[in-house]
Amino acid sequence: MDKIKQIIKVMLIGFAALFLLSWIIYFFNLDMKASVYLKKLMDKVYDMRKRDRRL
Amino acid sequence: MKDLKHLYYLENLLTEANNDLVRQAQEEGRLAVGNVCSLIPEVLLDLPGCFSVRLRAPRTGSMEVGTYYMTSLLCEFCRALVERAMEGGYEFLDCIMAPDACAAMNRAVENMELLKTCNKEKFFITYSDVPMKSDETALKHYVKQMRIRVLEPLNEVYGIDVSDEALRKAVEQHNGVSKLIRELGEYRKEESPRITGYEFHVFCLATYVCPKDLLIPILEDTLKQVKRRRPDEKSPFRARVVLAGSEIDDLDFIKLIEENGAMVVADRHCFGSFPGRDEIKLNDEEDMLTQICRHYMTAGQCPRYMNTDKINERKDYVDQLAKEYKADGIIYEQMKFCDYWGYERMAASYIMEHEYGYPVLSVDRPYVVGTSGQLRTRVQAFVEGLEIKKIHRRQ
Amino acid sequence: MGKKMNSEKLGNFYYGNKTKKRREWRGAADTWYDYTRWLANWKVMAKFMMKPANLKGFFRYRWMGSYLAVPDFVDRHTEGLRGPQLRIAHKEFDFIVEHVCETIGNLFRADPACGGDEEFSRRVVVFDENMMSQIMNGFPNLQMVCREIPVVYTPSTVLQEGVLHYIDVAEEFGLPSDVCPMPAAELGCAIDDDFPQIGICAVNCNTTCDGSLMGNGVEARRFNIPTFQLAVPIRHMQESVQEYGAEEIKNCIKFIEEQTGETFDWDHYFKCMKTFNAETKLFREWLELSKTDYPQIIGNNVALYRDAYYQVGGGRDARFLQNDREITELGYQGYEKKVLCASEVRHRAVLWGVQAQYYTAFPIWLQNCWGILPLIDMLSLTSTSYYSEDDKEQAYLDMADLYMKMNMRNRSNGGYEVGVDDLWRFCEEFRADMVIMYEHIGCKAMAGYHGIFEEQARERGIHLIWVTHGLMDPRKASRKDMRGEVNRYMRAVLQEEPLDPTLEDFADDNNW
Repeated sequence: MDKIKQIIKVMLIGFAALFLLSWIIYFFNLDMKASVYLKKLMDKVYDMRKRDRRL
Repeated sequence: MKDLKHLYYLENLLTEANNDLVRQAQEEGRLAVGNVCSLIPEVLLDLPGCFSVRLRAPRTGSMEVGTYYMTSLLCEFCRALVERAMEGGYEFLDCIMAPDACAAMNRAVENMELLKTCNKEKFFITYSDVPMKSDETALKHYVKQMRIRVLEPLNEVYGIDVSDEALRKAVEQHNGVSKLIRELGEYRKEESPRITGYEFHVFCLATYVCPKDLLIPILEDTLKQVKRRRPDEKSPFRARVVLAGSEIDDLDFIKLIEENGAMVVADRHCFGSFPGRDEIKLNDEEDMLTQICRHYMTAGQCPRYMNTDKINERKDYVDQLAKEYKADGIIYEQMKFCDYWGYERMAASYIMEHEYGYPVLSVDRPYVVGTSGQLRTRVQAFVEGLEIKKIHRRQ
Repeated sequence: MGKKMNSEKLGNFYYGNKTKKRREWRGAADTWYDYTRWLANWKVMAKFMMKPANLKGFFRYRWMGSYLAVPDFVDRHTEGLRGPQLRIAHKEFDFIVEHVCETIGNLFRADPACGGDEEFSRRVVVFDENMMSQIMNGFPNLQMVCREIPVVYTPSTVLQEGVLHYIDVAEEFGLPSDVCPMPAAELGCAIDDDFPQIGICAVNCNTTCDGSLMGNGVEARRFNIPTFQLAVPIRHMQESVQEYGAEEIKNCIKFIEEQTGETFDWDHYFKCMKTFNAETKLFREWLELSKTDYPQIIGNNVALYRDAYYQVGGGRDARFLQNDREITELGYQGYEKKVLCASEVRHRAVLWGVQAQYYTAFPIWLQNCWGILPLIDMLSLTSTSYYSEDDKEQAYLDMADLYMKMNMRNRSNGGYEVGVDDLWRFCEEFRADMVIMYEHIGCKAMAGYHGIFEEQARERGIHLIWVTHGLMDPRKASRKDMRGEVNRYMRAVLQEEPLDPTLEDFADDNNW
């Protein structure tokens, strides 16, 4: 029983932490700020790809 | 070479849309039918009692009014027509038969309608839905549209005879003119040709904008002259080119090309002889209108035709012309801001060079070319390139 | 910061970078709602990326990079919204996110470079971007994919620079820069070898315009599959063209049957058309609401979504109908509570012309900055007819009618009656005192009426504000330029002050 309570407690703390983290990411637009860097990286990947460029 | 007798007369005639021959025909009681696009079979507008006038706006200077109504984003040719219409330049027309083919031209005609630029009592405009493919379904539609948007209005409003007999007469006249134009054009095949591309264009253009029957004696006389004409000992031209593309009713454009060393040996453009001056072959089995529409549909080289066969055919057609007229290269030209020819020029220039092996010059141009330094330079460079290729081939 | 509209100074969120500083505080309830929807969208996208074929596609195709900005896209289209409008926007845009993920998923599944599911690819019929899809209502065993939508159309709305690379490629190959950027981008993408090569056959159409028609013909060189060119009449208002349209539809159906071995299923077709008609009924109700003093489903909340279900959905996806019902419910709730779409409603406007793809959130800016309600837009004013649910011969005519009256084309083609006269009729119906006239630089069709619009607007005493744009190329006219034209008119002619001064001029040139 104590073990179950312990597990529930850990899970609640975990969810709370996740919620807080996701909330911070959401409110401060961190997901999109990270995407900017990812996009720059992906553009380099796309530029490196060989293409059969023709009409 | 000695000047052609009627050239100067026709050059002057072509400086006006409502020229002497148009006025003469109207005085005889015939109707002037305005035409803006090759997708309306020209021959339907040349029925007995009518004559077709392909609209153009010679000596266009400013286009401010046309630009106000249509913005600077649209084809200059269309804007020039609206400008000329606003100035009263098309008041002489009895009707305009317009297809809804390209958006820009459709807007030009709609502007003419909404701004009431032609005020004759019985003046009318019709808008036909013309096919974008060349197949039997499209043909059926084409015939229906030509009947209800061209023939019936001419008959109902002006009492024009639209019977098969009348259509046959119109075709005979068309074929007569086409035969003369073709014969004239054949002389461009010569090493030292007896007619230049510019001269040919003057005569050909006249057949689009003047009553054809009044031109026949001039063409016949010119043909006799050309037959007897002594060509220059050495051709003044350094290269031979097929000119393909959108409408060209500005004589200065071909003049510019030829002044810079390239002779236009074949003209695959609107107001040109290919395919506009093909003879229409008739039989006695099918009704006349269907035969006429079939001819225009199958012969048509407008990039608007979207089926794959037609897309490929357009390249083969130019290839055939280049071979027949022994061209060294091809010039693809388009009116600035023309969507159809923007794409067609891009694709055709690439394909004709990379797949058919022709040197290609690809240019866009304003409606009035004048003495454009830019174009001049490009043509000169192209001609030099063709000469170098010829030298390499000989070596 | 707060529950009321315009409580956040939205212009301050832009600081010259790609993204905004932060997301809005809309009051507890609305912010919580927006947050949960943000989570839901990320869940959809994460699920999408977990499939190996989709991950491969993400690395293979440049246009996939644009989708990194999807949450920002949703944020732009919910900017400043509260209450029912916020919920309506999310219902629509979140569903679009889901739908586009599914479409791309299908593309990659069939793509030999990604999923390699040949059997699936053999059931795919590739459609042109700007084509109605109702023909496929009779082929339940086949999958229709509008190839260009997830590849060109949507990226250009998500990211303002989304398709610039492709436009540049097309121009490098000689395409003039004055043509419409949409077919130019599609052609550039084909040249750049960036289209998935899928499908058993394709159908091209002559919608929407001359440029599109031509671009298709050149693009088709890259796709080695049998293609049917569906030629749809231009003068769609004329009775005389309907028969030809129907004949072409029959030919198209026959082509698909021959290529796929499937037979047109009339029962399924009529079932889908029933759904489509039900969607139309609801759309008509939205329009009626928009004519009242308390319009609810307006601006962004009509434009893109209407495109999606009218054209792409076509009645085949019942989720659109369910979504529409929920949106309608929200609309009525808002109407009954007399909810306003702007903190102060100053003008009622009809948006005419083609919208800028890189600024589909422009209507929201009009609301938030100047209190101009964008009641309806030209692209949404498509057919509101009910179509036959049981007559086969009529069904051919109906399909032809739908193809002729595809978004935008039903106004840009067909004559001044539909392009010009109808505008004034709608202004009257919607009691609009203003027209926001989008002037797309590459669009010859609408530009040709420029002078006529000016003159007739003056005659009617309607404020006509020209907003020039480059459709998919912001280099020709930026978002700021577009706003500037409205700002100048509002200040100089109407002498009004903005509802939110921070929105009058703000730095979003770099923004996604």
